[in-house]
Amino acid sequence: MSNLQAPRGGAKEQSGLRYPANGKTIYHRPLNRAKTAELSGASFAYLFSEMVSYASKKIESIQDLEKRLNVQGHPIGLKLLDLLLYREPARSQTRPLNIITLLHFIKINVWQHLFGQAADGLEKSSDPSKPDEYMIIDNEPLVNRYISVPRDMSQLNCAAYVAGIIEGVCDGAAFPARVTAHSVGKQEEGEMWPGRTVFLVKFAPEVMERETFLGKG
Amino acid sequence: MPVQVYSLYIFDRHTECIYSKQWFETPAPAPSALPHDQHQQANGNGPAMATAGEQQQQQQPNKPRRNKGADDAKLIFGTVFSLRNMVRKLGGDDDAFISFRTSQYKLHYYETPTNLRFALLTEPGALSMRNVLHQIYINLWVEYVVKNPLSPVEHKGGEGVRNEMFELGLDKFIRGLM
Amino acid sequence: MYYAQVRPQSVLETGCGETSDAHCPAQQLNSSIQLEADISTQNPVEQILGILALIVINKAGGLIYNRTFGDGLNQLNTNDYLVLAGTFHGVHAITTRLNPGHQPQQITAGGIPSRPDPPSGLEVMESENFRLQCFNTLTGTKFLLFTDTLQANVDVAMRKIYDLYADFVTKNPFYQLEMPIRCDTFDRKLNSYIREVNNAR
Repeated sequence: MSNLQAPRGGAKEQSGLRYPANGKTIYHRPLNRAKTAELSGASFAYLFSEMVSYASKKIESIQDLEKRLNVQGHPIGLKLLDLLLYREPARSQTRPLNIITLLHFIKINVWQHLFGQAADGLEKSSDPSKPDEYMIIDNEPLVNRYISVPRDMSQLNCAAYVAGIIEGVCDGAAFPARVTAHSVGKQEEGEMWPGRTVFLVKFAPEVMERETFLGKG
Repeated sequence: MPVQVYSLYIFDRHTECIYSKQWFETPAPAPSALPHDQHQQANGNGPAMATAGEQQQQQQPNKPRRNKGADDAKLIFGTVFSLRNMVRKLGGDDDAFISFRTSQYKLHYYETPTNLRFALLTEPGALSMRNVLHQIYINLWVEYVVKNPLSPVEHKGGEGVRNEMFELGLDKFIRGLM
Repeated sequence: MYYAQVRPQSVLETGCGETSDAHCPAQQLNSSIQLEADISTQNPVEQILGILALIVINKAGGLIYNRTFGDGLNQLNTNDYLVLAGTFHGVHAITTRLNPGHQPQQITAGGIPSRPDPPSGLEVMESENFRLQCFNTLTGTKFLLFTDTLQANVDVAMRKIYDLYADFVTKNPFYQLEMPIRCDTFDRKLNSYIREVNNAR
């Protein structure tokens, strides 16, 4: 196999991760280079289905399962933050420095990259006692498209995986937070968004402290 | 429009197959067919061989292989009986099972008020043959079997059905369709 | 009604004393078929529109899904549906084995006989009140779709239902193969699709 793969004109081939003349490395390009290229939704659905099955082995509670999905998503968020910032134009290539910029980055850039569209909403908790809670809303999370949650697990939302990704992005940007996914769609007949999901982002106290300090400055 | 008819089965009210007739021989086993062809080409003696073969095949339906035919009749009865019951259960007592089709054949079913059942197997593309079965019943069965003074009331083992008039009329009628 | 209209005709024929000639009835039979066909198409049956029910049977003959749409069919209890699924499974197997016709062996250009299509079991069944279409997947799951006798494009509907099954049942991590289908999303999508089809009529 390796014999077959060996480059023919060895001298001309660039080997290793040489920096190209135009300054664009392979990290600048999506894996699939064509503009209209899409990934197979079906293969993702099957893969995700297996991930959920794997995560639901030997669990003691629904929280366990959501935690495991969250953990699977976390590293993706960390790496995605780096990758997406790297692809930004050079002058806006800065890490988000306050909560609003960060959440906006997640709502627009991260969502666009992962799901091909921006998230459907971004809100701040209206409860004055919880200033550290923000909500990102997706009407129909891609990961949940083919999933029907059994009645006995009704609190489960498999978008906990996406919550894990968001958590990873927040952590990577030095905004430690707890992110959880909650189903808020009504199950009645004729409901437009039965799978509507809210990602509740609860920032750590030190983040809030820093935010107020920066706000004063 | 010509219709390829394969076979006809008649079942009496005791669920016994009292008449069956096939208009097409069951497919010859494949291995014998191929050497036969090769033999033909090698000999250059094709036509004579072919006619001999055809004659043999034509004679076959007259003496049907007993076991296969009887088994088929039982299977067909089981099938139509189950489907008929299923249809009645789902469609109500006034509903009647008419036909079913697979990719190889189509089975048409007709049941008289006296529980006499006709099953006709044709090519899958055939249109409804319900009227044909009805005609067989009123113009052949009633005429030549029921009205025949020599025919018994119960046709145990097919007795009284295989009379010349009925068989001739049936064959003529079916061949008229093909 | 059907019976009554045909009956006098045969009486007439026997009255003419033509039955002694084997030729005559047979010829008349053939000519009267046209007439009969007209009558049967005009036969008024009260129509309950569209798709009436869906049943899914797993490869072992067990009932894994059944749903009725509209009231065109008698409501059965669960046990009857289970029996029905088992019966149909058996009938399907038998109809696959019965093969009365001879298959014309297709010879391709190279002189090599091509393999004939494997025999299919029951595909369509018709009764006076409804029509049953059966789709047997490659893995042996059977979809039975009950429609009224006039429903067109049942193939398209079947295809779409199979799509929905492939999407919302098999891609669901909480569904175990061969087990009863309890997927809300599948129910929801199926309902809205069937409603769409039935309203289009």
